[in-house]
Amino acid sequence: MIEVSTVLVPTAPKQIFVEKKQLTLESLRGRVIGFIDNAKPNFKDLVDDLEQILIAKYGARKVIKLRKRAASIPAPTAYIDQLAGACDLVITGSGD
Amino acid sequence: MVAVEICSSAFVNLGRSQARALGYENLPIAVVPHPFGTVDRQIVRQFAEKCACDIVALVCLPPVTETLEDYQPIIEDVQGAAELTIEHAPNLMIAFNRLCRDRFWSDGLPVMPTTREAVSAMLAQTKRPPQQVVARLAPGFGVATVECIAINAVLAGCDPEYMPILLAAVEAMATQRFNLQSIQSTTNPAAVWLIVNGPIVERLGINGKFNCLGEGVWANATLGRALRLILRNVSGALPGEMDRATQGQPAKYSFCCAENEGESPWEPLHVERGFSSEQSTVTVVGAEGTMNMCTLVKEADELIRVIGSTFRHPTSNEYVHGAEPWLVLCPEHADILHEAGYTKSEVKRRLWEASKMQASELSKEDMSRLQSSRTTELGVIGADTLLPISHHYEDISIIVAGGSGAHSVYVPCFGNTRSVTVAIASDEN
Repeated sequence: MIEVSTVLVPTAPKQIFVEKKQLTLESLRGRVIGFIDNAKPNFKDLVDDLEQILIAKYGARKVIKLRKRAASIPAPTAYIDQLAGACDLVITGSGD
Repeated sequence: MVAVEICSSAFVNLGRSQARALGYENLPIAVVPHPFGTVDRQIVRQFAEKCACDIVALVCLPPVTETLEDYQPIIEDVQGAAELTIEHAPNLMIAFNRLCRDRFWSDGLPVMPTTREAVSAMLAQTKRPPQQVVARLAPGFGVATVECIAINAVLAGCDPEYMPILLAAVEAMATQRFNLQSIQSTTNPAAVWLIVNGPIVERLGINGKFNCLGEGVWANATLGRALRLILRNVSGALPGEMDRATQGQPAKYSFCCAENEGESPWEPLHVERGFSSEQSTVTVVGAEGTMNMCTLVKEADELIRVIGSTFRHPTSNEYVHGAEPWLVLCPEHADILHEAGYTKSEVKRRLWEASKMQASELSKEDMSRLQSSRTTELGVIGADTLLPISHHYEDISIIVAGGSGAHSVYVPCFGNTRSVTVAIASDEN
């Protein structure tokens, strides 16, 4: 004989929230670009190369590079405040 | 301000899922091939050329007008748990377990049906309303409501009386210093270890004696398991998705014990951390694994020497970052140290000295991680630098647990995490 039971779902309840819009730039020309280096191997070299390319090829005005002590910690608030006050674009890293 | 994330390809799902959870569904992500950290310098340059093009393509788009709305915080409206109706014959267990298997709600072992009656019994153990938000849990930032914690406690097979411990443990895990974000999303095998202290240990029969880190006691097994199910189902850390652990470890099924306060010669962990002995507490630890230390040594300083020597290993995350190593002393080893006149603090101080490791033990690449992480703390780090395992000797944590026998356990922690001890609310236990 078929029976019917009701169970509760164990995943997080749904949340309704306002989605943030994706902001854009018309070009990188004259822009200030910030990097938060996650301190993973090779990321510093990637950031150095991107700095060179984004300035030489795409006309970025300035690059600000800040390096975290380790990948497994959040960026210090001071870094975020500094970049938020100075940059048009901020680039972070994730992964190995 | 515009933001872009650069992810190595194996981490794109994590980046995308976290961005979505925080309300940035469209966060631009530039992808570099994984593994990125081991490629040669000229390959990095090639990746940079491609990555720069990708960044430009991702951010240089027709303008979007910034509105005030963009700067408003996320507005949450947390709903109650969803219900599902299952048709089954002849019993609910089989159908429910098939459902959990299909939807990845189980840890891989059979689970208990989350009926309204079972969840209500769990909720009866707290005065908090079911929809109260206890925490938002990284990496998926799912909302852990009281009800949701209760549902996962039922799923794990917990007795209703265990509920207050889980509420406290979830609060503890969400504390910033615990760093759940990294514990959950790292490639490290980090598991969350629960240590219970105080009168609740005896009342609920939580094992701190023989085989306390092993199987066989309902409270230990189901409490640790419930926490893992919460981390999976609520915080969204599914293996290979947002949980990036390379192998993980068996403790990710369940890792919970009590301190054997009755056989400890010292004050228990929670008293050391400022709670009264009559207060019950739960401590969460981001644990990397367990290392058995069998030694029949009888002399205190020799015991400290061999334990310190066990701490040292060149692949340790603890020496790279300066961490919070844990020591589970068996009562016999604890007595040797106590009879030598050592307080717990003195044991830590001596162990901190005895466990220093020469930096040259590390590989060249790990030396670089070490220098990045600890130069501010230690000054210039060279091959001859003697590395302490933690910033301060008091960062070494000690509990006494286990039965008779000359086995203590070293529990290395994940690295950039600090344990958190929280009181189990008295009106809930």
